[in-house]
Amino acid sequence: MLQLKTIDTDVLVIGSGAAGLSAAAYAAQQQKNVLVLDKGAVGRSGSSVGAVQIAGLGDWSHEDDGIDSYLNDINESGRGLSDPELTQTLAEEIDVSLNHLIEWGLKLDKNENKEVAVSHTSGHSLPRSISAKKGKTGLGILHALRRKATKDENIHTWSDVITLELVKSSERVVGAIVFDLTDNHLYFIQSKATILATGGAGQLYPTTSNPVQSTSDGFSLGLGAGATLVDMEQVQFYPVSMVAPHSIAGFCISFYHYSKLYNNLGERFMEKYAPNTLEDATRDKLSIAIATEIAEGRGTENGGLLLDAQEEIEQVKKEFPHEHKLCRDRGVDLNTGRAEIGPAAHFMMGGVKINKEAESEVPGLFVAGETSGGLHGGNRLGNNALSECIVFGARAGLNGAKLAEEADVPQVDPSVLEKTEAQFKQILSSAEGEYRPYELKERIQSILGVHAGVLRNNDGLLKAQNKLEEVQKQFNQVKITNTAYYSREVLDYIEAGHMIRTAQAIVGSAAARKESRGAHYNTDYPEQESSLQHTLVNFSDNQINIRTAPVKGGL
Amino acid sequence: MKLHVKIQRTDDQTDQFEVDYGPDMTVLNVLEEIYRHHDSSIAYRYSCRTGLCTTCMMLINGKPDLSCQKTAEPGEDGYLTLSPLPKGKTIKDLVKEY
Ligand SMILES: Cc1cc2nc3c(=O)[nH]c(=O)nc-3n(C[C@H](O)[C@H](O)[C@H](O)COP(=O)(O)OP(=O)(O)OC[C@H]3O[C@@H](n4cnc5c(N)ncnc54)[C@H](O)[C@@H]3O)c2cc1C
Ligand code: FES
Repeated sequence: MLQLKTIDTDVLVIGSGAAGLSAAAYAAQQQKNVLVLDKGAVGRSGSSVGAVQIAGLGDWSHEDDGIDSYLNDINESGRGLSDPELTQTLAEEIDVSLNHLIEWGLKLDKNENKEVAVSHTSGHSLPRSISAKKGKTGLGILHALRRKATKDENIHTWSDVITLELVKSSERVVGAIVFDLTDNHLYFIQSKATILATGGAGQLYPTTSNPVQSTSDGFSLGLGAGATLVDMEQVQFYPVSMVAPHSIAGFCISFYHYSKLYNNLGERFMEKYAPNTLEDATRDKLSIAIATEIAEGRGTENGGLLLDAQEEIEQVKKEFPHEHKLCRDRGVDLNTGRAEIGPAAHFMMGGVKINKEAESEVPGLFVAGETSGGLHGGNRLGNNALSECIVFGARAGLNGAKLAEEADVPQVDPSVLEKTEAQFKQILSSAEGEYRPYELKERIQSILGVHAGVLRNNDGLLKAQNKLEEVQKQFNQVKITNTAYYSREVLDYIEAGHMIRTAQAIVGSAAARKESRGAHYNTDYPEQESSLQHTLVNFSDNQINIRTAPVKGGL
Repeated sequence: MKLHVKIQRTDDQTDQFEVDYGPDMTVLNVLEEIYRHHDSSIAYRYSCRTGLCTTCMMLINGKPDLSCQKTAEPGEDGYLTLSPLPKGKTIKDLVKEY
């Protein structure tokens, strides 16, 4: 007998970062009943919290800037893999989305002349990055959206509830099975439209800038529902992030252009890799240089390189007080010493394939923000992630509401729900196994860190595939010692399940791309091929399937 | 090195742990250590680890602070003492409701 309770909503939004909360705001404006859920605290648990700036267009734009030049920069940066339909939508709609946020209470930072402060970001041909809350822009956007959600009676939020899987009926997504950590119950949320906005995948790697919740759930949920993932090998690494001490490993350093980087021989190695730009190189180039130095044995004991900012320390303190203070509090005094840095997993450019309406290929399922793929191609331009969240969050919300207006949702076969419920109950009684869920997570992280990081090669990717298969088997011997409510072990277990599936998608895609392009650098194929291909991932019969397909309209 | 930790789990239950510890550990690192090696049922909340989200806030040696930013140190009584913030509903151990 089915014990899980059913909850009905017009629009279900999974994830409450900038993308999810934007989607909720727009859907609710269409008078639809919206349920936003998050496995952490709503509006406080995603990568959106840490974002510093947002790129875009507005009446504050540089006089030479406009849709065409923005579009040009994005397409160029994408290394041929960006979907033109998506880039066009971003460039055309960003000003409107930003204005809505401002209407809802976002206050942009101003310069000395009381004008909107616009700054330059590497890769953009013109200055077009703006901020709020003195560089805590993500927080500023989340505050505005949270306020909107609290005021709007159509929006209901639910913290501490994690999505196990999406549910389908008649080839259409009709909701999700979720687990409420606070009462230890499973629920079936039946929805007319479902929006996935679960953020990124940084936690698949041992060192990441991402919050603890970025365990790649949305990619795995999308796959499980029959959606296609595109270009999953394109993982952006933030080149200069802290390696030690452990307590701040992964913390991004923004002021590397004010710093000098050295290897353990005392060489300023960027003179070799990029004599013109030195440390002020693009993220992909800098990551490859740093990873090469470390791989060739010129790193520190902790596997990092050394950053020295002493010459420009006053500027650093002025522009990046939060970063300077946080390093000092953790015992790294940049005034007199050096920091140990290295690349950290930062952003997933690949993701669930969507069209410009934020629709996936599966009816009823919309995807927005970092979980979606195709916009950034092989290299995301700095500060375009938040822009993506608000533009495609809006699209997903509006289109989700429209579908909810028309949709007649097919009934779900109760046996589908019963099966999940039974499997889940069985897991909860696995106290005798061998591996704690956090250990499974660590194994996945270590495999990807070694074999699918900044530098990849054929042999390593093959090894990674085999090792991930071993870990997959170890799931059968999982040991869950605590099944009381709010169990971190149960949470870790569910997340580990999403992680293994996404890890296989990343490694498989990396193996299928037989060239180096964008963030994917394979030392066995160091060059870019002339023909442009996407890697595509699907999941059926419990099996990950990878293929490549020529880029539409590509060279 | 060992650190003596007291965690208030309910109004009338406080548990003690003796945790391996190094000088660069934050309170959050200590909690991770307890979850992994001492008591898998310990409940605490965090997200960004960089002092921005504030979800890791708790009383640390009696004062509200961010567990991801605060260095783990014993208070005057020789214990690192952790308890949930007094305001609002506590879900479990150190976790507040949002
Ligand atoms: C430190 C840092 C700095 C950055 N700086 C910038 C910047 O300056 N400019 C910029 O444009 N971009 C920046 N980025 C990237 C950008 O912040 C993110 O790509 C973007 O905010 C992602 O937003 P999102 O809404 O897609 O997901 P998120 O904000 O990550 O939110 C996803 C939410 O989904 C929830 N969730 C996940 N899985 C589940 C599940 N199974 N069930 C229920 N809930 C779930 C999570 O708990 C989380 O709250 C930065 C990223 C980091 C980590
Ligand atoms: S974990 Fe975000 S402030 Fe501590």
